[in-house]
Amino acid sequence: MNNIIQKSGLSAFVPWIVSAIVLSILPFIFTGGGSITIMNQIGITIVLAMSYNMLLGQGGMLSFGHAVYMGIGGFVAVHIMNIVENESLWLPLPLLPLVGGLVGLGFATIIGSFSTRKAGTVFAMISLGIGELIAACCIIITVFFGGEEGISGDRTMAPPTFGIEFITQKEVYFLIAFWVLISVFCMYLFTQTPVGKMANAVRDNPERAEFVGYSMRWVRFVSFCAAGFFAGIAGALFAINYEILTEQNLNLNMSFQVLLATYIGGVGFFLGPIFGAILFTLLQTVIGLQTDLWALYTGIVFILMVMFLPAGLTGLFAMHLIPLQLGRLGMLVRPYAKIFIPGLAFLIGSIALIELINHARHHGEEQFMTLFWIEFDTKSFLPWIVFTLMVVVGFYISRIIAREVTEAWGEATFVEGERR
Amino acid sequence: MAVEALKLDNVKKNFAGTEIIRGLNLSVAQNERHAVIGPNGAGKSTCYNLITGRYELSSGRVYLKGEDITNLQPYEVKRKGLSRSFQITNIFPKMSVFENVRCSLLWAMGYKYSFWHMVGRQSKLNDDAEKIIEELNLKDRRNTLAGVLSYAEQRALEIGITIAGGSEVILLDEPTAGMSVSETEYIVGLIRKVTEGKTLLVVEHDMGVVFDLADRISVLVYGEIIATGTPTEVKENQAVQEAYLGAAMEEH
Repeated sequence: MNNIIQKSGLSAFVPWIVSAIVLSILPFIFTGGGSITIMNQIGITIVLAMSYNMLLGQGGMLSFGHAVYMGIGGFVAVHIMNIVENESLWLPLPLLPLVGGLVGLGFATIIGSFSTRKAGTVFAMISLGIGELIAACCIIITVFFGGEEGISGDRTMAPPTFGIEFITQKEVYFLIAFWVLISVFCMYLFTQTPVGKMANAVRDNPERAEFVGYSMRWVRFVSFCAAGFFAGIAGALFAINYEILTEQNLNLNMSFQVLLATYIGGVGFFLGPIFGAILFTLLQTVIGLQTDLWALYTGIVFILMVMFLPAGLTGLFAMHLIPLQLGRLGMLVRPYAKIFIPGLAFLIGSIALIELINHARHHGEEQFMTLFWIEFDTKSFLPWIVFTLMVVVGFYISRIIAREVTEAWGEATFVEGERR
Repeated sequence: MAVEALKLDNVKKNFAGTEIIRGLNLSVAQNERHAVIGPNGAGKSTCYNLITGRYELSSGRVYLKGEDITNLQPYEVKRKGLSRSFQITNIFPKMSVFENVRCSLLWAMGYKYSFWHMVGRQSKLNDDAEKIIEELNLKDRRNTLAGVLSYAEQRALEIGITIAGGSEVILLDEPTAGMSVSETEYIVGLIRKVTEGKTLLVVEHDMGVVFDLADRISVLVYGEIIATGTPTEVKENQAVQEAYLGAAMEEH
């Protein structure tokens, strides 16, 4: 008996150990300076999005100002970096995120004490107000926020940790990876505690939660503080990575980005925000390098997700677990393959048209443009016709095959005599 | 005389100037099974909402085992040992049956707002939750999301959530509403089993269930108790027959 418990206890750690190994191998696979920079950004976004999901996904609180807690944690972290540089304080850099976390926690305690009284619209509106308020303070309280140019520091001036001074991006990567792992692990543990479980209960049915003995306000407050703590950690990681914080890192725009990333990943799943953070950061950086319209594409992805896939990217994976368990995943391969070609044509055509319009509008003087590794003449009609045809025909065929996909899906998930 | 488990003293409630509950007096002895009956709109559910802190009283007092619980918050009332079910099923739909029951046990077992216990490792908590699920006859449904259970199963879970945590006074609001005969039998058997040694106050429309289950009955008409007594006394009461029971009995 004891043996079984120990075994199951160990097996619970397997995903974490695997994650740790993957995280430590990654920088040796993606060795380019650019990819390490992107991975650092992904790591920070993961912690932030996961902390946001403690509110939205697990606690049912829609916040429009979550970046504030990251920002405040980050600003304090930069100030502390500067104090450490002046040698008025001894603090190794790897411990800085803890300080950021405590700052986030402290600030969340103050705001949460009144904002968690109600959920729903009231909570959302208060979070919006706080977001605006702090963003405005950035310009006003220049001593702390540094005005428009923000404040900057130097991470390498901290006392070396085991001889590491965090000069290279790679060294910073390991610091961030360490904190991502610790934070996600702690956030997972939080979901397994009494208050974490009650956060779900309050999200599902706040009234009933009160009738089993819990004050919904207190449950929300505890979740809110915890979310603030982890957002603060993300803020300090941001400060370490970029060595500068400005108003842009805590304004409403930033808060919306967190919301977007979390939602795209899937709010209903613990791991959802991780996928969201990865996809969102890639959209922002990789696509951002290719086109200045990345925000437009992110917006379109977001709208399509909300409309057709409210469970997010993780929901899409999870959906396929049912046919997988029934051993009918094979039934879906054919219709999926069939819709892939027209779907792709529609997608490429749409993107090309958008890019073409953007090109004609803003770079009209350049006759040639390159899209999907093909260079063509924007002054001729041919590309316009080809792309329009791709959109129209691709859409039309996709619509027809979509019915087939729906039917196949129904068959693949149908269980005799059981309601789903 | 022993202290009453639950006592309502001249409770009144106005909604926008209209008096819905007009001076309610009710006392339920310990370990008694007490039923409240009355026509639709008599104020039965309102009465529950007043006792459990869902609504605020306009005047009057509510006592639980002699202690004044007037206008306490719902969670405070629950912590003092009074638990209720709802007429319209009120569960945690996106959580499994097991999680539903376990969450209902957390406060009573002293976990409060703890973020340092792992619920999966609390063997007493999990064993107790399993026991309740077994009592509810929902073992096959342990890992099913509560929202997709059948109606009767949801009603059973509703009772499970209510009795979990061992509250001494249980208030049930139309536990058999909308059920078939066999489902009603199952739920009545369940109620009998899980309220053993506890005080039960039950609002119910099914007269068969009421006369089967209750030690005493109170008749609520237009916000007032017009009669209280044993099933036989109530059945023979002239005022009750005129106001309500005659019509209701004819239906059955």
